[in-house]
Amino acid sequence: MGKVIVITSGKGGVGKTTTTANIGTALAMLDKKVVMVDTDIGLRNLDVVLGLENRIVYDIVDAVRGNCRLNQALIKDKRFGNMYLLPAAQTKDKTAVTEEQMVELCDKLKDEFDFVIIDCPAGIEHGFRNAIAGAEEAIVVTTPEVSAVRDADRIIGLLEAAEVRSPRLIINRIRTNMVQSGDMMSVDDILSILAVELLGIVPDDDAIIISTNRGEPTVMDDASQPGQAYRNIARRLCGEEVPLMTLTAKKNSFFSRLKSLFSGE
Amino acid sequence: MEQWPDRLTNLPTTMVNRTLRSGQSINSDGNVVVLGDVNPGAEVSAVGHIVVMGALRGVVHAGSTGNENATITALELVPTQLRIATHITRPPDGSNKDKSYRPETARIRDDEVIIEEYNPTK
Repeated sequence: MGKVIVITSGKGGVGKTTTTANIGTALAMLDKKVVMVDTDIGLRNLDVVLGLENRIVYDIVDAVRGNCRLNQALIKDKRFGNMYLLPAAQTKDKTAVTEEQMVELCDKLKDEFDFVIIDCPAGIEHGFRNAIAGAEEAIVVTTPEVSAVRDADRIIGLLEAAEVRSPRLIINRIRTNMVQSGDMMSVDDILSILAVELLGIVPDDDAIIISTNRGEPTVMDDASQPGQAYRNIARRLCGEEVPLMTLTAKKNSFFSRLKSLFSGE
Repeated sequence: MEQWPDRLTNLPTTMVNRTLRSGQSINSDGNVVVLGDVNPGAEVSAVGHIVVMGALRGVVHAGSTGNENATITALELVPTQLRIATHITRPPDGSNKDKSYRPETARIRDDEVIIEEYNPTK
C-alpha cells in the first residue's frame, strides 16, 4: 500500500511542477514504483517537464470517466520502467473531475504504486480541492518571497482544515548570496511564520530552466546542486535521515577569495 | 459611555488554541486569547480585549463595537494593522521591525493609539 502525497503552493510559478517531476524521478531512481498525477486540467505541464508530451493518448478525465482503463491512461517513462505519469486533460476544465472521483482514483493507484505524487494547480478553488481530496500527506512549496510565503500560509491553513496531516515545507530558489547580504528572506525567517516541518531547501540554479525545457529532470544530473537537493528530499520521504545541504555563496571576486584564504575557510 | 460594561474583563473569553494563518478569522462578542501566532492575512475581531500569546503579525480589532477601553497585547507586536474602537493605526512605513520580542500592549490614550511595554500592574 503506497503513500499519496500532494504537492501544492497556492501561488503559481513557485516550482510545483518542477518539484513534482524531480521528486518523482528521484524516488524512481531509489527503485520505488512511482506515479505522478497532473491535476492541472486545462493547463497541463508535467508531461512537458518530463518529456512525455508526445506519448499521451488518454488522460485523467478519460480514466475517471471510464472512457479507458486506468492502465491505458498511465504513461510509462522513457528512462525508468518503474515511473509513470497520469497526464491532465488539456481540452477540459477543472470541473471535469469531482472530489469523489479523485479519492477513488488515488485509492486504486496506491494499491499498485509505492508513491502517488499529485501535482496540484495554483489557486485554492476546485482544482486545489480535487488535488487534495485523495491525499494523505502534503508538501507545500514556497520561495523566499513575501507573497509566496503568505500564500503558503493560507494553503497550510486549508490543508489543516481538510485534515491532510502535518504538511511539510520545501523552500525553493534560495539565492545564498542574497540571503547573506540580507536582501532575501532566510530559511529561519520563513519557518518562523509558517511553523511547519522543513522537508528540504533547493538552491536557485540556471540549470533548472535548461533541464525543464529539455524535459529532463535535473535530479538525473549528478553534478547539479538542485538535483542533489531533490535527491535528498526523496531519501527523506523514504524515511532516511539526511542533513540539510549547507548552501554557501559562490566566491566570485578576487577579493572575497583572498579574504577566505586568510580566514582559512 | 454608560452603555458599556464597566469592566471588559467580565465579558466571556474565547480561547483560540492554534495559530491563525492567512485567510482565517475569529470574530467574538467578548475577549479573545490566541495561544499561537496571528499571521499576516489573518484577522481577529473582538468586542473586548485581544491577547496573543505569540507573534501578532496580522490585523486585529479590539473594542470592535466602539469601546475605547479595549486593549491589544501580544508577546511580539508586529501587526499589519491595529484597530481599537474606531481608531485605525499601522506601523510607520519603512520601520524595519526592529525585532523587540518584548511583550507590548496597545491602548487608546488621549484619543491616540499608543504602544507601551506590557505591564501587568496597569
